[in-house]
Amino acid sequence: MAFRRAIHLLPRGKDCVYSLCIPCLHTSPNAISQTVRFPQHHCGRTTRTLHTGTPLMVAKILSVDELFSKKSLQEYLKKTEAEYNECLRAANSGVPEEQSSEDTLMSKRTKVSLLAPLIQSIRELDAKQREMAETEALLKDEDPALRELAELESEGCLQEIQDIRQEILNLLIPEEEADLSDLVLEVTAGVGGQEAMLFTNEVFHMYQGYAYHHGWSFDILEYMTNDLGGVRSALASISGSQSYKRMKFEGGVHRVQRVPKTEKHGRMHTSTMTVAILPQPTEISFTINSKDLKIETKRASGAGGQHVNTTDSAVRIVHLPTGVVAECQQERSQIKNKEKAMKALRAKLYSIKLEEETSKRYNQRKIQIGTKGRSEKIRTYHFPQDRITDHRIGLTVHDMKNFLLGEDLLEEMNSSLQEFSNQETLEELLGENNQQGS
Amino acid sequence: MRKISLSAGYTCYGCRSVGPKGLWGYHAVRSCSAPALPAGRITARQAADLWERHFAERGVTEPDHSSHYILAYLLGAKTIESLEQGKLTEFLSPEKTEQMWKLCSKRLSRMPVQYVIEEWDFRDLTLKMKPPVFIPRPETEELVELVLTDLQMKPGTEVGTQETCLEVGCGSGAISLSLLKSWPQLKAIAVDQSQDAVDLTGENALRLGLQDRLQIHHLDVMKDAETVLSLCSSVSVLVSNPPYLFSEDMTALEPEVYRFEDHAALDGGNDGLEVIKHILTLAPQILSDHGRVYLEVDPRHPPLIQQWVEVNVEEMHYVETRHDISGRPRFCILRKEKSNKDHKLDLD
Repeated sequence: MAFRRAIHLLPRGKDCVYSLCIPCLHTSPNAISQTVRFPQHHCGRTTRTLHTGTPLMVAKILSVDELFSKKSLQEYLKKTEAEYNECLRAANSGVPEEQSSEDTLMSKRTKVSLLAPLIQSIRELDAKQREMAETEALLKDEDPALRELAELESEGCLQEIQDIRQEILNLLIPEEEADLSDLVLEVTAGVGGQEAMLFTNEVFHMYQGYAYHHGWSFDILEYMTNDLGGVRSALASISGSQSYKRMKFEGGVHRVQRVPKTEKHGRMHTSTMTVAILPQPTEISFTINSKDLKIETKRASGAGGQHVNTTDSAVRIVHLPTGVVAECQQERSQIKNKEKAMKALRAKLYSIKLEEETSKRYNQRKIQIGTKGRSEKIRTYHFPQDRITDHRIGLTVHDMKNFLLGEDLLEEMNSSLQEFSNQETLEELLGENNQQGS
Repeated sequence: MRKISLSAGYTCYGCRSVGPKGLWGYHAVRSCSAPALPAGRITARQAADLWERHFAERGVTEPDHSSHYILAYLLGAKTIESLEQGKLTEFLSPEKTEQMWKLCSKRLSRMPVQYVIEEWDFRDLTLKMKPPVFIPRPETEELVELVLTDLQMKPGTEVGTQETCLEVGCGSGAISLSLLKSWPQLKAIAVDQSQDAVDLTGENALRLGLQDRLQIHHLDVMKDAETVLSLCSSVSVLVSNPPYLFSEDMTALEPEVYRFEDHAALDGGNDGLEVIKHILTLAPQILSDHGRVYLEVDPRHPPLIQQWVEVNVEEMHYVETRHDISGRPRFCILRKEKSNKDHKLDLD
């Protein structure tokens, strides 16, 4: 089943880059990273950074090499190649004998074309590995000049092998339906009163920074404040390349531990806030019946039109069947407020639908894709110790101020989550889920 | 340092008259009706709250929104909700405080917020607002939406086909400029009987860089019908938010509307249909075949218009009535049908 899903999504696999090839993301001094770079023809790409050396890391993020040394992966690749060959033979054998086999033939042809990129990479890898073996033999040669040449060559070869392996992993990880969509970010204050609301605001702005860092647009749809500068809840529409994919691991309960500004006795408080990441559906993929909507404005009473000049342009939309409400008063234009409220409403309704569909699929995982209803505590922001710990992968980084800017440090945290999630997907794919005890 | 300049500002303010001059001299605010400038520093939130209370006490409509919009404008945002967090708890500079008092005093005279801050948003445009030019209402944003939806649905409107639109009574230019902004192949002709409106539409067009596709003419469709006809022929869209209030309703209007906005943009005669009838009479000569008329009207109007057109304007066919966001019958769509006449002859 999982396998079929993978196949189905393979053509999009190329977009599914694990840890984005963005240079300078890992320059922070807070993570010990091993970046290997080779000067040859791959200089346009940065190698994946592996956090294997970080002492505080509890969860095992395996390196590409470690993954490839797994027997299950090798077997899986062999099995896939065999299947490909079988399909190819069948597809080429020509005329189907009966009606029923025509469909089979079609499906085999489809499979061939879907699997082609993966098979090509597997074959490239084989060729490179043979080349590597030959070069390695030369490394023991008596001629020092030849040895030096072989060394150079093997370095290049190693790098290429690494790249191809990465490519194969990328092709194996299925893309999620929502990965290509934009999203609506929802932050809600949890326990902790005013302090929780202040922290909610800080987190909201951290994501604003994160969006700007990536060049995404960040459009505030709803912003419910209290008088003391806190936020009860806020919604923002975020769009841009890979935005949902990069934000989806942020959903869940975020916990803050610090001495609030308002605290007189210097006691440390623990408060929480919740982040939900709602994929923004396209008009085509998700439709709402306008008859189900009740739209409320201040102009609803009285004559409206030229009779009155009101400036209150707030719009509130109620989805009658579910009772879900969205409102917007960010804009001076009423129609803009209506558009934004609709956007928020669509995202809210869509996430409810997705939640129903996918909750079963993800229940087994450590990293949950954060939509509504995720009550799991995912991260702690510990101010006195100046550290941020993600509980799902046990990763800790330091430098709170920097982290809350939503730039490199958050990005780094996110990359690790992405890698770990990909690994979980892969393990699921390889049928290893049950053996994964420790 | 700050305190000194503030108190200086205060002294200075005390002897200055802040009310709008000229046209509304009669309603000018005496500075004593405004609360005194605070002696010390106050935060943005405190200033907003203070004025909200004061507006409420003085019976100014929308006291909360008025004070919020003015404050947001001074702080460089559109709404208080979109204001950067923390700005509300910061102290206002003496200059900003003084400006806040000046602008809010204008509002105290019941001047509409849009005139006080001299700008407002219409769909995705920010337009300059100047009294007495009619301030576009939210319903009209929906009128533009109707036109745009039809333009999109229309077959053969791919690149290259030039469509022309005529707007009667352009006011600040909101409708024409929105259409031009959203529809790059469109050309527009905007007319208004008021020189102020013509000037403001021109100014807004220039600000938005849309002047190249817009012709603006100062003329009155009621009097200069021939000039209108000579300027436009084969127009595919005729759009208007004409004056449609019944004359008898005029006196019941809030002071914001009655005292500050151009009555010529509001008063549609005894039945509110004077200008509408005129537009519909001219429409067949202005429109190309199947060209459409889009009108914003009073909710009582649609059936009246439909009846009247059927009797009086042969070539115009009443297509449908559309409702505004609050569910009122607010928009009329009509179409020119050349075949209408022949069809009728056949029936005879």
